[in-house]
Amino acid sequence: MSSSSSSSLPPCPKKMITLKSSDGETFQIEETAALQSKTLENMIDENCASTPIPLRSINGKILAKVVEFCNKHAEVGVDAESLHAWDAEFVNVEYTTLFDYILAANFLEIPTLLDLASGVVGDMIKGKTPDEIRKMFNINDAFSPEEEEEVRRANQWAFE
Amino acid sequence: MDPSMDIVPRICLDTSLHIFMSLGDPCDLARASCVSHGWHGFVVSNGLSKQLCLKMFPQLSGVDHVTESCSFKSDAETGSSNTKEWDVLEREHRVYGFLSHCSRSIADRECILDAISASSTDDFEEEGFNNTLEKRDRVGRAASYWSSKGQNNPAVPETLIYKLVGDLCVITEIDIQPFQDYFIEPGSPIYSAKSARFRMDDKFVWTYTSPEFPMAQASAALWSCYMENRLQEFKFPEPVLCIGGFLLVELLGRVQRSGMDGSFYICVSHVQVLGRPLSPTFGVEMIEPSGKFVLKALSYTKESLPESSPQQDYMEYSWDEEQDDSDEEFI
Repeated sequence: MSSSSSSSLPPCPKKMITLKSSDGETFQIEETAALQSKTLENMIDENCASTPIPLRSINGKILAKVVEFCNKHAEVGVDAESLHAWDAEFVNVEYTTLFDYILAANFLEIPTLLDLASGVVGDMIKGKTPDEIRKMFNINDAFSPEEEEEVRRANQWAFE
Repeated sequence: MDPSMDIVPRICLDTSLHIFMSLGDPCDLARASCVSHGWHGFVVSNGLSKQLCLKMFPQLSGVDHVTESCSFKSDAETGSSNTKEWDVLEREHRVYGFLSHCSRSIADRECILDAISASSTDDFEEEGFNNTLEKRDRVGRAASYWSSKGQNNPAVPETLIYKLVGDLCVITEIDIQPFQDYFIEPGSPIYSAKSARFRMDDKFVWTYTSPEFPMAQASAALWSCYMENRLQEFKFPEPVLCIGGFLLVELLGRVQRSGMDGSFYICVSHVQVLGRPLSPTFGVEMIEPSGKFVLKALSYTKESLPESSPQQDYMEYSWDEEQDDSDEEFI
C-alpha cells in the first residue's frame, strides 16, 4: 500500500493524520495541510492525532471536500491567480453545501475556508428583501405580522 | 419541511460578524435586521449599523449618544420589557444606519455657506477673501480673487476658513482655482501654492487633517498655464464627515513672485467644496467641556435633504467661462 517505496528519492516521511467523518469514512491528510485547521493543530500539538480523529459533526462528503481544500492550499508554488480561480470554483455549489462548508470550517477553525464561504453567503444576502432571505435560508423564527410591520417601519428607508 | 439553514444561530459570533460586516451597504444591514428575531437580535445587539458607520466615518467616534425626534414605540409595545440598554442599541441601529445611507445616496453639491477668514489679505477692497466664493475669475472688467500679503520666504503658508452649509457635511472633494494675473503682470503668472491640505472640525479644533495634495504647476508653455489656472480638483481618498461645519484650507508653499515688489504671493480665484449636507435631517450638539457630542436624527425621510445636483449646472457654466478666458478683452 505504501507509495513511498516506489519513489527513488530518499523518503522524507510525510506525517499523515487520519480524520473520521460522522458516517465512518476515514481520510488521510498530511500534517502540514492539516495545520490550516486550528482545531487540528491543537490536537497535533497535544499529541492527540496519532489515532483517527473523529469529527462527529462533519459527514464524509463534506470532509472529503475540506481535505481537498486544505491540500490545495498547502500546495507549494501555486500562484495567487490560479488559486483564486480554484477557490471560486470550489464554492460554486448549492447553498446547502456552502452552509456545510461554513459549519465545518467553523468547527475546524480554518480561516481561509471560512472567509471564502462566508464571503459567498454575504454576497447572497446583498440586495435581497427579508422575505427572500427567509426563503433562501429557510429561516423559521420569523416575526409576527405586527412585529414585522414595526421593524420595517423603523427601517423604512432601506426598502425605498 | 427542510431543516432551517439559518447561519446566525449555528456559527460562532466572529463568523457571523464577518458575513454581516462584508455586506458594506447600510441598506443590507437594515433589511437583514428585518429577517427574523434571531437576525434582528444579532444585528442590533452587535451594533453592526454603528460599526459600519464608524468604519465609513471615524470622525463619529466622538459621539456621546444619539437621539431621535420621533418615537418608534407602537402602542402595543408601551410597557414592554425592553431594557434601557436594548432601547439604546435599537436607537443606534436606526440613527447610524440612516446616516450611513443618507451619506451614500444623495448627490454631491456645493457645501460652502460663507467665507469666514483668511490668514492675510493684501488689499481688502480689491482682493477680499469673499471673492473666492465667486465662481467666475472676473466680474465685469475686474478680476475676482483673494490675495495673501507678500512674503520674502516662500515657505510661509496661508490658511482660509469657510463655514459650511450645515453642522454635518460629508465632504468628497475640494476644488481650488489659483488666480492667474492675465492683465497686469507680463507672462500672466499664476499665484498658486505648492500644495493644499484641508482640515475640518468644530470650534476651530481641527481634528481631521487630509493628506497633502500637490497643486498642479504651470510650466513655461502657454497652453499649460492656461490649464493650470483651471479649477483643480482634490478628491478625498474616502469621503470625510465634517462635524461642526467649518473647513480650513491650508495653502502650503509659495511659487510666484510678484514683478511689482519681488515678494511671494498666493492668490485664489475660487474655492468650492463638494459634498452631501446631512442637515437638517441630522444635527449635532456639543457637550461642553467633554468635546463629545450628541448626534441627533431629526427626521427619517430623505425629503429634507437636497436631492438635486446644482454642481452639474455649474460644470456647464464653468465651461462657458473657460471659453471666455481666451478672448481678447483684457489684452
